[in-house]
Amino acid sequence: MRRLKAIGALAAAGLLAAACSSGSGTKSNTSAKSVVTISNENGALWTCGFSPFNGSDTLLSVGFVYEPLVFVNPLQNGKTTPMLATSWKWGAGNKSLTFTIRKGVKFSDGKPLTPADVVFTFNLIKKYPALDLAGVWSVLSGVSATGSDQVTMTFNTAAVPFFYYIADQTPIVPAHIWSKIANPVTFTNAHPVGTGPYQVNPCTNANITYTANPHYWQPGKPNIKKVEYPAYTSNNTANDQLATGQAQWGSQYIPAIKEFYTSKNPAFHYWFPPTVNVSLIPNLKNSLLANVKVRQAMSYAIDRAKVSTIGESGYEPPANQAGIVTPTFTSWLDTSLTSKYNYSYNPAKAKQVLASAGFKMGSDGIMANSAGQKLSFSVINIGDYSDWVASMQVITQNLKAVGIALKPDNLTNTAFDAALYAGKYQLAYYDQQTFGPGPYYELRNWLDSANTAPIGKLAASNFERYSNPATDTLIHSYAATTSTVVQHSVVNQLEQVMLSELPIIPVVEAVDWYQYDTSNLTGWPTPSNPYAQPAAYAYPDMEQVLLNLKAK
Amino acid sequence: MPISGVSTVGQPGQEPATGPAAGLPVPPATHALARMGRAVRSNRKATTGTVLLAAFILVSLFPGVIAHDSPSADAYSPRLGPSTAHLLGTTAYGQDMFAQLVWGTRNVLIIAFVAGLATTGIAVLVGVAAAYLGGWWDGSLSVLTDVLLVIPLFPLLIVIAGYAQGGSTLVLILVLTVTSWSYTARQLRSQALSLRGRDFLEAARVRGERRLYIIMVEIIPTMTSLIVASFLTNALYAVLFASSLQYIGLGDPNTESWGTMLYWAQNNAALQTGQPLWAIAPGACIAALGAAFALLNYAFDEIGNPALRPMRRRRIKRAS
Amino acid sequence: MRFALRRLGFFVFTLWAALTINFLLPRLMPGNPALAMLSKFHGQIGPGTLKALDILFGVNTHQSLPAQYVSYLHQVVTGNFGTSLDFYPKSVTSVIGGAIWWTLALVGITTVLAFVLGTGLGILAAWRRGGRLDSIMPPVFVITSAVPYFWVGMVLVLIFGISLHWLPYLGGYYVSTDTPSVSLSYIGDVLSHAVLPAAALLITTIGTWILTMRNTMITTLAEDYVRMARAKGLPGRRIMFDYAARNAILPNLTGFAMSLGFVVSGAILIEYVFNYPGVGFMLLQAVQGEDFPLMQALFLLITLAVLLAILLADIVTALLDPRTRTAG
Repeated sequence: MRRLKAIGALAAAGLLAAACSSGSGTKSNTSAKSVVTISNENGALWTCGFSPFNGSDTLLSVGFVYEPLVFVNPLQNGKTTPMLATSWKWGAGNKSLTFTIRKGVKFSDGKPLTPADVVFTFNLIKKYPALDLAGVWSVLSGVSATGSDQVTMTFNTAAVPFFYYIADQTPIVPAHIWSKIANPVTFTNAHPVGTGPYQVNPCTNANITYTANPHYWQPGKPNIKKVEYPAYTSNNTANDQLATGQAQWGSQYIPAIKEFYTSKNPAFHYWFPPTVNVSLIPNLKNSLLANVKVRQAMSYAIDRAKVSTIGESGYEPPANQAGIVTPTFTSWLDTSLTSKYNYSYNPAKAKQVLASAGFKMGSDGIMANSAGQKLSFSVINIGDYSDWVASMQVITQNLKAVGIALKPDNLTNTAFDAALYAGKYQLAYYDQQTFGPGPYYELRNWLDSANTAPIGKLAASNFERYSNPATDTLIHSYAATTSTVVQHSVVNQLEQVMLSELPIIPVVEAVDWYQYDTSNLTGWPTPSNPYAQPAAYAYPDMEQVLLNLKAK
Repeated sequence: MPISGVSTVGQPGQEPATGPAAGLPVPPATHALARMGRAVRSNRKATTGTVLLAAFILVSLFPGVIAHDSPSADAYSPRLGPSTAHLLGTTAYGQDMFAQLVWGTRNVLIIAFVAGLATTGIAVLVGVAAAYLGGWWDGSLSVLTDVLLVIPLFPLLIVIAGYAQGGSTLVLILVLTVTSWSYTARQLRSQALSLRGRDFLEAARVRGERRLYIIMVEIIPTMTSLIVASFLTNALYAVLFASSLQYIGLGDPNTESWGTMLYWAQNNAALQTGQPLWAIAPGACIAALGAAFALLNYAFDEIGNPALRPMRRRRIKRAS
Repeated sequence: MRFALRRLGFFVFTLWAALTINFLLPRLMPGNPALAMLSKFHGQIGPGTLKALDILFGVNTHQSLPAQYVSYLHQVVTGNFGTSLDFYPKSVTSVIGGAIWWTLALVGITTVLAFVLGTGLGILAAWRRGGRLDSIMPPVFVITSAVPYFWVGMVLVLIFGISLHWLPYLGGYYVSTDTPSVSLSYIGDVLSHAVLPAAALLITTIGTWILTMRNTMITTLAEDYVRMARAKGLPGRRIMFDYAARNAILPNLTGFAMSLGFVVSGAILIEYVFNYPGVGFMLLQAVQGEDFPLMQALFLLITLAVLLAILLADIVTALLDPRTRTAG
C-alpha cells in the first residue's frame, strides 16, 4: 500500500539519519574526559545574561565566574573554607567584622583583585538596593578598606548569622568594569569577568559552554576544563539526557528514579539532602485555626511517612513538628523535647484532642463546635507542582479521617504568591525559599514578628502571622552571639515554641535534587562526604563541586 | 476532524433523510425515530457503536459494581503491575488504576452528553433561525458562524483555559459549549434552507400556524436525523477536547477522569518508568468512546445517504 | 475577482474578530490574570515594556475601554506584542521566530503528505467499491479519526522509542551534542527526531482525507456525466481521474480548509507529547508559565496561519471551479 510504503521510506530515512548523526543516545563523552554536562531544566532558553545580581542569572554566574569571600557549607553546620578572604575576625560586641583579602588573585582579564574591589561591590549593592539580593544592608552600616589588605564591615545591629549572606552569598565583582556601567540594575553582563574558575565561552540560546579560567588563583584547578550547560525547556528532555548518560550532573526531579535512571547504569547515583520544611501553614488570624488544639489535632492526624512515600515518591523524608530538618541538622535536634511532645501519626489522639476542645463529629463526617462552626477549610497550593498536589491529596484523606475537611485550591505560582504573602488564605502548603547553615535561618523566617504583616499587607516570610515578643527576644539573642552553646540553647527553646505553639505544621522536608554519573568523573559530593550542596543550581556551592571533580 | 468531511446529509438539493417526496404528508416525529431504530439495527456500524456506547453508559451508572476499590484513596502499594487484585495495576500513588478508569467514565460521559447537548442546542437554534428567518438575521448569524468556524478552536480553548488557569468540569463544559457549535450549526442551516421551500411548510403557513410553531413542530422534527448526527459529532469533540485540556493540565487534577489520569501519568513519566498502562489505558478508553460516537455518526450518514451504504453483493438468480 | 474580494473581506473580518477576542479575554476574566503576573515583574521591567504590556492587557490604565482598544489595535498592527515573561527580556516576536520553523516544517510536510496519500487512497477505495479495501477502510478510518492525537503519539513513543529504541522521541534534536548548522550530522539528527511526530500526525489526519475523498467520489461517480463517459466506453482510469476525481477533489479542498483547525490542534498535542520545539509546544509552556504576552501572540499567529491557508485553498478552488466564483 502506498501509505505504508511512504511511512516505511520515512522511517528508513530516519533510521539512516539516526545512524549517521553524531548525536546518538548510546555515545558517551569518552573523547573529552574532562568535560561535565549539567542537566538542570530551566523551563526556557538562555538569555545569555550573566549578572550576578539578577535573580534569574545568579545560578549561571556565581560559582562559575564569580566567587565569594568565604565558602560556608550548610550541610556541615557552616564549616568554612576561605576563598577570596583568607581569614576574618569579629570585633567588639560582634558589631564589626574584618576580612583579610587573599593576595595574588587575578580576574579573568588579568587584572588583580584588591580590597578595593570588595569595598566597591558592597557599596554598589548599597547604592542600588535592587542588587542586594541577600539584604545585607539591612544590618550593615558601612564597608571600608583598612590596612593594606583588609576590609572592615560595621553593623548597625548584632547580626552574626548574616555572616552567611555577607561572606558566602555576595559575589565579588571587578570595580574596573562595574564602575563604568551606567545602570547596573539592567546591565545584562554578557561577557562576565570574575575571579572564578571558569569563563563563558560561548553562550548561545541553547547551550552555555564554560572553559577554564587561565588566571585562576588555585594552581592546577579546575581539573574539569569544560562545562556544558544546555538549556532544557522541559523536564522530560532534561531527565532523558541523564538517563542516556549524555549529562552527568543532574539537578532534576525524576519520577520513579530507580526505574528511570539508576537501573540504567551502575554508575548512576542520586542523593537528595534535605534542606527546609514543607509545611501546612495555618492562618493564625482565622478564629478556628487560632485554637492551638485544632493545630495539634492536625499534626497528630497527618501520616507524614505516607505523604513522603506517596506524594513525594519517598524522596522527601517526613519532617518533625520541632521544625529541625534531619539528618542535615540532627545535631541541633533536642530529642528529649520531641519525645516529650511526640507528634507521631496518631489519628485517635487527634480526635481526642478535638473532643477536649469541644468539637463533636457531625452527621456529614466533619467536626463542629457548639457554635456550629465546622472544621472545614480551603487550602491553597501551587497547582504546577504535581508532587505537592499529590501530597495534599494524602493530607486531605488523613484529615478527613479525623473529621477535618480540606478543600484544595490549586493556584498558579503568581496567584498563590499573591494570596500567601497577603494572608488571604485559610491554610497553605509551602516551604521557605532560603536555606542557611543551621536551623536558625528557617525558624527565624517563620517565627520573627519582623517578618510578618497584617492581613492585606505583604509579609516577608512569616506568612502565618505568628507574633510573640518572647520568641523575638530569643531570636535576637541568637543573632548577637558567636557562642555555639548559646546558639544551641536558643534553638532548643525555638523547638519548644514549635512543639507547644505549633505556628506551622511541618509535613515533609524539601531536598536538593542531585544525580551524578561516576563513569568518568570522581570527586562528587556524597552523603558520606557532603562537602557542598550538590545541586547545580546551589550557588556558590557548585564551584566547590566543580573544583573537586576530576576525570578518572 | 470532521468525520466524513462534507456531509452529504442536508446539502441543498439533496433529499433530506426522512423527508418525503414533494407533496406527500410528513410522518410525525415518533415514526421517524422508529424508522431510525430499525435502520440502526440493520447497520453493522451503528450496532457496534450503540453497543460500545451502552457499555460505557452502564459502567458510568454502576461503577461500584464493576470496580470495588476507591479510585482516589492512595490505599495500595505504588507501581504494582496487573494482577487479579488490581486488574491494571496501581499508579505511582498507590491508587487502583482499574477503579480510576471505571469511576472516571462518569466525568467523561457527563462532559460528552452535557456539552454535546448544549452545543447541539445552540447549533440548532442558530442554524434553523438563520435559515428560517432569513435576511439580516441569516446574514449576521452566518457570519458569526463562519468566523467561529475558521478560528482554530483548540488554541482558543487553550487561551481561555489559560487565562482561567484551568478549572472545574463545569468551566470546561461551559468553554466547550460556547466555542464549538459552529460546524454543526452550518450543517443544520444548510438542511433547514433546503426545507424552506417545501410544500408541507407552505401548507402550514397557509393554515395560519405561527412561525415558532412551524419551526418547532414542522421543521425540527424533519431534521431529526441530522440533529442526532450533530449531537454525536459534538459529543465526540467535547470528549476529545476536554480530555486534551485535562491532559495538558488545564483541568482540575483532583477530579476522577480519563484525561486527568493521563495528566498524572505524564507527570510521572509513566511510559519511561515501566508503567505504560497508566497512559495507554485511559487513552484507549477515550479512543473507544470516540469510536462509538464516530461509528454511530458515520452510520447516520449512511442511513441518510443510501449511496454510501456498503454494497452487498447480490446473488443473481439464474433461470434454471 | 468579486469572489476573491469577498473572501479577502471575510478573511480580514475574521482576523479583526480574533484580535478583538484577544483584546477582550483578559479583561473579561474575573480578577484580571495579567495584573497578578505583571505585579510579579514590578521593578524589573522598563517603563516602555510596561506600557506595551498595559496596552495589551489593560492593567494599570486609566484609558476608557474604547481608547484602550484603539491603542491595542495600533500596537498590534505595528507588530509590537510586548516582551515575553518566561524568556524575559526577549521580545515575543523574537521568541516565536525561533520556534515557528519547526512547526511549519512538521505540519506543512505532514499535511501535504496526508492530503496526497489520503486523496489517492480515497479515489482507489471509491473506484473499487465493494472490494475488500472499501469495506474495511471506512470503519478503520472512522475509528482512527476519533482517536485522540496524543494517544497515537504515546503509542508510537512506547513502541518505537522506548521498547525498540529505534528512534529518538524527545525534542527537535540532541541539544547537548548538536548545534544548529548546515551539517549532515545536524540534519540527520533533525530528521531522526521528526519521524515519530510526523508519523503520529499523519496517522491521525489521513483518515479524514481518505473518507472524504471516498464519499465525494462515490457521489460523483453516481452523476450522469460519469455514466455517460462509461457508456461512451472511455477507459476506467481516464474516467476516474479526468472526470470523477477532478470534480470530487473540490469539496475535499474546502474540507481541507475547515479541517486545518483540527490539524493545528493535533500538531499542538503531538508537539507536547514529543516535546517538539514548535509553536504548539511553546503555547502550552506559555500557558503553564503564565506568559500571557507570548500566549496572546501565539494564538494570533496560529489564527493568521489558518486563515491564510484557507484563503489559499479558496483561491485554488476558485481557479479550478468556475461555479464557486459566481456562487459567492
